[in-house]
Amino acid sequence: MDAISLIIRSIFVDNMIFAYFLGMCSFLAVSKNVKTALGLGIAVTFVLVLTLPINYLLENYVLKAGALVWLGEQYATVDLSVFSLLIFIAVIASFVQLVEMVIERFSPALYASLGIFLPLIAVNCAILGGSLFMQQREFANIGMATAYSFGSGIGWMLAIVGMAAIREKLEYSHVPKPLKGLGITFIITALMALGFMSFSGINI
Amino acid sequence: MNRENSGYTIIYASVMVIIVALGLAFTHQVLIEKQTANVNIDKMQQILRSLNIDASADEARSQYDALVKNAYLINSDGTKIEGTEGTTPNDPAFSTELGSDDTAGLPVYEAEVEGTAIYILPMRGAGLWGPIWGYLAVEGDGSTVYGSEFGHASETPGLGAEIVTPTFRKQFIGKELFKEGNFVSVAVVKPGRSAANRDYVDGISGGTITSQGVDKMLLNSVGEYKSFLMNLQAAQ
Amino acid sequence: MALSSKTKAVLLGPLNKNNPIIVQVLGICSALAVTSKLEPSLVMAISVTIVVAFANVIISLLRKTIPNRIRIIVQLVVAAALVTIVSEVLKAFAYDVNKQLSVFVGLIVTNCILMGRLEAFALGNGPWPSFLDGIGNGLGYGWILVVVGFFRELLGSGTLMGYQVIPQSFYEAGYENNGLMMLAPMAILLVAVIIWVHRANNKELQEETN
Repeated sequence: MDAISLIIRSIFVDNMIFAYFLGMCSFLAVSKNVKTALGLGIAVTFVLVLTLPINYLLENYVLKAGALVWLGEQYATVDLSVFSLLIFIAVIASFVQLVEMVIERFSPALYASLGIFLPLIAVNCAILGGSLFMQQREFANIGMATAYSFGSGIGWMLAIVGMAAIREKLEYSHVPKPLKGLGITFIITALMALGFMSFSGINI
Repeated sequence: MNRENSGYTIIYASVMVIIVALGLAFTHQVLIEKQTANVNIDKMQQILRSLNIDASADEARSQYDALVKNAYLINSDGTKIEGTEGTTPNDPAFSTELGSDDTAGLPVYEAEVEGTAIYILPMRGAGLWGPIWGYLAVEGDGSTVYGSEFGHASETPGLGAEIVTPTFRKQFIGKELFKEGNFVSVAVVKPGRSAANRDYVDGISGGTITSQGVDKMLLNSVGEYKSFLMNLQAAQ
Repeated sequence: MALSSKTKAVLLGPLNKNNPIIVQVLGICSALAVTSKLEPSLVMAISVTIVVAFANVIISLLRKTIPNRIRIIVQLVVAAALVTIVSEVLKAFAYDVNKQLSVFVGLIVTNCILMGRLEAFALGNGPWPSFLDGIGNGLGYGWILVVVGFFRELLGSGTLMGYQVIPQSFYEAGYENNGLMMLAPMAILLVAVIIWVHRANNKELQEETN
């Protein structure tokens, strides 16, 4: 039950884009049509769901102060948290590379549609942001962490697909010249974010 | 040397990782002392804020030393554990972290403001996203709240995170933890609502779960000090 | 020291015509959430400038030795190491600000400006131009952040750097702080306004399609 409410919360209330602006670069660059937006959304969710639990395990059994206690009592005071950023980003980057190679080898069709996004994902703030929030929020177990990663990914996908849909329709409207393109996209993002804020009152 | 050679790549990566790791470990070692000092000063500032004093980081230590006269651990029936007295960061009361299982007792800070004794009780609970914590200053009668301080790790900015603002905290001043001899805590209710037979304060609109977290934290964390507070009342 | 015109372009271009945020659309992610107050915006701007400049220098020095296959990972490791150092220093010397910045310091690593500059500039240029390029881009990014932080704090809390600047008499006359400014979406809206003003003045940057 907790996991479900966590998923809903991370999709609507603490949406990666609308509440924290994570992953904005690719959000703005790849939201011109719905199909590619969906592809990127799926790729982000996929990588997030796979890397966040790995980082959760690393955080709780290697990096955190006292996390190495399972090796023996004498390691109880070891605190490796200074390396956490380095390890997280290394996990994400190598994972993205791995996924890219696996997909390329076994499913060229999927690679053709998803492949171009994968290099973009290593530096997508939403992925690293997910891991850093996981570190800060101290989830009770790996199930909760996975639920959170899934919710965040879906929330990100929802945002980018919605944005792309609006931008497709926007073709036909008269936007003041200096606002064309980037400017109006920012304003729409802000308005969508305001809309999403109305979810923050709900009690889940 | 061929840059695309696997052996070269592996050696390159290993050497880089070792250099980076050494560099980071070194920086960490150099700065750790200063960081711990900051954490301690931050804790002192929080304790002072529960006494309604906003101290800057520079004055925190001297203010804390001037006001907090004693600190110790108590056991579950509310009596002081011998040999745990002391207010400095190395003493058990200050270094005890609530929330870990193996603590020897519950920390209490005893302050003296304008000649009257104030007891400061640390609290810890869960908000929407992560841990929340706080300090509740209780007057010598063991029931009236003198002041409060709240902190959070990652509540939503503008909503749940508002629990740290003075507007929210100051509401607690003067509320009673006990009604007719029973511990009822202070309720945090939705703005506009009220609570029967208990003193209450307005929660944060839009920060429902965090407000409930504060409510639960007051009930549970301060509840653990029930016997200690009853002892104070009996001593009156 | 006189700067050659090329050096000048490298350093000053990003402040205006080549601004990373409002023209190149890079690096919006990690930063806007910290602009609700001026002070964290400033610290963020300085941190990003330092990290971009030094990462640029390091990558530029290493550029002849990096194996192409692990290029991205090498860049990320250098960036992550620098960011960790910045975050450790902040924890030691600016503890309060560090608390406000929370995870967003760490997110400098994935700031697209950083990776963008490393890929696009440092891999092909010497250390000194790379350093200037880093400083330029950091500042170009920083001034947007500071402008957004300035307006959000001024209109949202009536303070600047924590000091009250809107006089009490205004409040007595019925002025109210605009709470909306404190909410995250307003940061985005302010950037949109900056883009609007900037493009109204630089017609060649205007886009043809929506």
